Amino acid sequence: MNTTKSTYRLMMLLLLPLAFASCKKDEDLDPWAGLEDGKSTLIKDLAGDTNGSMGDEAEGKTKKGFDVFLFRFSDKKQIWLRNAADSARWLKTDEWDLAFTGPYNSEVFVNKGSYEFNPGYGGPATSAVVQLDKAYNLVNDAPSDGDFEQSDVNKIGWASDQYANGWFFYSLDTHIMIPIKNRTYAIQLPDGKYAKLELITAYQGNPPEVTNLNWPAPYFSFRYYVQQDGSKNLRTQ
Amino acid sequence: MKLKAIIYCQMLMLLSISPNLIQAQSGIRGGLNGGVSDADGRPIAGAIIQLEPDLHQAQTDDKGNFQFKNIIVGDYTLKTNNLGYQPYNTKVHIRVGQQATLSIQLKPNETSLEAVVVQEKVAAVDHLLDIQRSAMPVTVISREAIAQMGSRRLDEVLKEQTGIAVVNDIGGGARAVGVQMQGFGSDYVMILIDGQPMVGRNSGNFDLSRISVSNIERIEIIKGASSCLFGSEALGGAINVVTRHGAIQPQALASLRYGSLNIVDATLEGETPFHHQRGSVNLSANYYRTDGFNTDPRFMNGTTAPPYDDYTVQGRARYRLTETSTIGTSARYALRKSYMEQIFGSGDSRNTAGDSQDITDVNVSLTYDKTFSSGLRSISRYYLTRYISDMSILWQQSGTQASAEKFAQTLHRFEQQFAYSPVRNLKLTGGLGGSVEQMDNRDFNVPGGLWSGFGYLQGDWRINERVDAVGGLRYDHHNSFGGRLNPSLGLNYHILPTLTFKMALGSGFKTPDYRQRYQVFMNPVANYLVIGAELLRETLEDMKDAGQISEIREYLVNQLDQNLQAEKSLSFNGGFDFTPSQNLKINVNAFYHNLYNQINSIRVATGISIRDIYTYENLPESFNTGLEGSVAYSPFTNMDITLGYQYLVTKDRGVMDSIRNGTGAYASIRDNATGLFRESKLSDYFGLENRSRHMANLRVAYRYTPWDMTANVRVSYRGKYGFVDRNNNRFLDRYDTFVNGHFLVNAGVEKKLMKQHLSVQLTADNMMDYTDRLMPGQPGRVLLLGLTYRFYKN
Repeated sequence: MNTTKSTYRLMMLLLLPLAFASCKKDEDLDPWAGLEDGKSTLIKDLAGDTNGSMGDEAEGKTKKGFDVFLFRFSDKKQIWLRNAADSARWLKTDEWDLAFTGPYNSEVFVNKGSYEFNPGYGGPATSAVVQLDKAYNLVNDAPSDGDFEQSDVNKIGWASDQYANGWFFYSLDTHIMIPIKNRTYAIQLPDGKYAKLELITAYQGNPPEVTNLNWPAPYFSFRYYVQQDGSKNLRTQ
Repeated sequence: MKLKAIIYCQMLMLLSISPNLIQAQSGIRGGLNGGVSDADGRPIAGAIIQLEPDLHQAQTDDKGNFQFKNIIVGDYTLKTNNLGYQPYNTKVHIRVGQQATLSIQLKPNETSLEAVVVQEKVAAVDHLLDIQRSAMPVTVISREAIAQMGSRRLDEVLKEQTGIAVVNDIGGGARAVGVQMQGFGSDYVMILIDGQPMVGRNSGNFDLSRISVSNIERIEIIKGASSCLFGSEALGGAINVVTRHGAIQPQALASLRYGSLNIVDATLEGETPFHHQRGSVNLSANYYRTDGFNTDPRFMNGTTAPPYDDYTVQGRARYRLTETSTIGTSARYALRKSYMEQIFGSGDSRNTAGDSQDITDVNVSLTYDKTFSSGLRSISRYYLTRYISDMSILWQQSGTQASAEKFAQTLHRFEQQFAYSPVRNLKLTGGLGGSVEQMDNRDFNVPGGLWSGFGYLQGDWRINERVDAVGGLRYDHHNSFGGRLNPSLGLNYHILPTLTFKMALGSGFKTPDYRQRYQVFMNPVANYLVIGAELLRETLEDMKDAGQISEIREYLVNQLDQNLQAEKSLSFNGGFDFTPSQNLKINVNAFYHNLYNQINSIRVATGISIRDIYTYENLPESFNTGLEGSVAYSPFTNMDITLGYQYLVTKDRGVMDSIRNGTGAYASIRDNATGLFRESKLSDYFGLENRSRHMANLRVAYRYTPWDMTANVRVSYRGKYGFVDRNNNRFLDRYDTFVNGHFLVNAGVEKKLMKQHLSVQLTADNMMDYTDRLMPGQPGRVLLLGLTYRFYKN
């Protein structure tokens, strides 16, 4: 009898840890939470060239495996360059703001006709971009014209270390792209207006952490704000 | 009635002496025959039986039988004391000219039900090297402990052990899961079945769920460098799965479990002696299926861990040809069919990955075991294993293939072992052997395969009453890799009857695998190429000639081409076993493992269409160090409490140097929350990915004999561990992504009915339903109901 009692007491003791066993709360995993501020435009899961691949070198392809697309802020238009005619029609114009190029469309350019390796090289557009290591919502003013002029940011892609230009890291352990948090791009658009841009992810659904090597990509999520009055005020909160 | 039940349940020794006339004994002499078995009636081989006061000694054979001939009649006290069993004494009376018969059933030691440290002595039928007497600390999980957990697959059993974790390797794909032990990743832990290596890894990870725990006798876990026992691969430790063998009476078992995730676990097992106990055969078949599960329903449909159907048949047979020689064979055939869907997005942008894998796994061995009149024992063995995996991932909407790999690996191995005791307190075991390994893969293969030869000698020396030592030396030679010598030394010092000091030193190595040496692997998704070290220059030159290279880092290529060294380790373990009373056992052990030449990928060139080209290099040094402790306490009969804890620090010295010297990316830390940088300090370095500082488990088991019921609750804790370097300074600091620390609670209740023939078991794994999308392999709550029926003569 005594034994039974102490057994129960012991059992109670043993069940104690259960009370502490942190049961996983259904945390709000909404990946879009906090991204919409009422002023900015949020683009979710814009499909890049999902059929593209780097192509097997054995097949002797010289053409890049991914079709380039352009993006225009004013009407959220995605413009595909599927062939030479498309390129001729669009590249050397000031009708686009961003070009998504390279593997997985992950290398982003603003429209700068004066720069040799810019997709818009030779065109009329005179965009410039400045990289800011600052949260998007804290970027209240566009940098000075001098900063834009001096900026050496051209291709915005893989940042090989944490200082390098680029909007994502790439983990050699997991082979997954890791978007850089709180990195914002201030842009002077072809029409002279100022804008800010945050590239959020290239993975479908914007998961907080990619847990699968084959998570579908490229699906771009990004947000931007264009100051329509031509001033440098980029305040969005 | 009640008394009877208690006696039965406590498994008091059953004893029966039946006198039995024999012909040729005369005068004042008689004899005694007998058998020793465990509580389930299985024979215990290698048990020492002593008759006092004359100190006659006999040892049981594989069938658990012993014999005393021509002993003087009279009253003796028979004593036997075997590890894992309670000591047993009884009076025997030897009569003139008669051969008495005695059957002894040993009650298991309370502690042999522990998950933490268990010792159990079973004579080697596979290996003359007694793995449990290896220098490095050994944990044994008994069949009973596994049965109580209600686990189905090997990974489930192991992840509840102190210091062992089962980890997903994200970079290896959704199916890459492996074991981690004292900080060593799956690449460095050798998996053996009946003492023979198993093959078939996915990015270095050995998926333990391939192995069903039905028909397993016990699991032996060796923590620390064990190349002295097993050669390459056992650099960080080894896990040996011992399947069931031997039979003294015909018996069979049928078991069925069903529950959450539509898990079905069905087992049929049978064993019988034949030809007057000269032979025995054990057979088993298991079917297991699961729907898989999804720990990430917010972001995807389908499953994060694969559904699969597994079929395993295995068997063992042994036959005693003569008094002193036995032949044996064992075979295992396992088949897995798995198809997993992972559905991302919805509507028009839905992407469904159809991921399939078929695995075939065969293990066969033949042994010939002979004892010579000099006492020399020999085992000759041939072993064959073949593993075939056919994997592919297809995007269903576009019909494009994300990856495909077909891979087959075959290993033939021959080994000749000897064991001899020149003097009573010294046992020497030696062996010679060789193996050839072949691998076929779409991307690479090596003509002729890899050959290796090995030889070893181990001594087990009881120096005096208080000190015993185990030492060994092993030499391995690989046809293209040269030789390597690995020593080990273990020392036990019994300071007090209740206190033992233990210490072990050993070294380990691992030759680079096929992939690292010969594979030229293209990842079209991430657009990079990895070239095996042996083919580095050759491949780069070819690519250069084809105009596909834009830059080669020549000094690296010169340094790395055909120059990949074996990985090496040095292990130290030391600690105390303290048994202040019969019902309390405390163990503390500190460990330090140094790892040299760890293999890592490094970028050596930039291509035109392929952006990055990698090969492999050796990293300077890293270490795993920590402390583990366990307490086993039995407050009263039938109640067992065990507690285990591991503290672990794993760091790469190269990273530490880079932080100290402020080299490149290591120099600073970016706080992702503010976007601000600061200089990094050594104290910012958390250690390697996937390693928890703290791990603990608690297990409480209670047996209520009047109802023939047992119940247990197991809680395991895994402290937070690094998931990915989020701020790209190449080491884990506090701004990176960590997996939260968490508790998992498992429990089981079992009731036996129909005179123990039938058992009904209800198990609940992960009772609190804890899941995390960063742990794609950890399912939520799983409830299972199991029925087991044992057929045997009462």
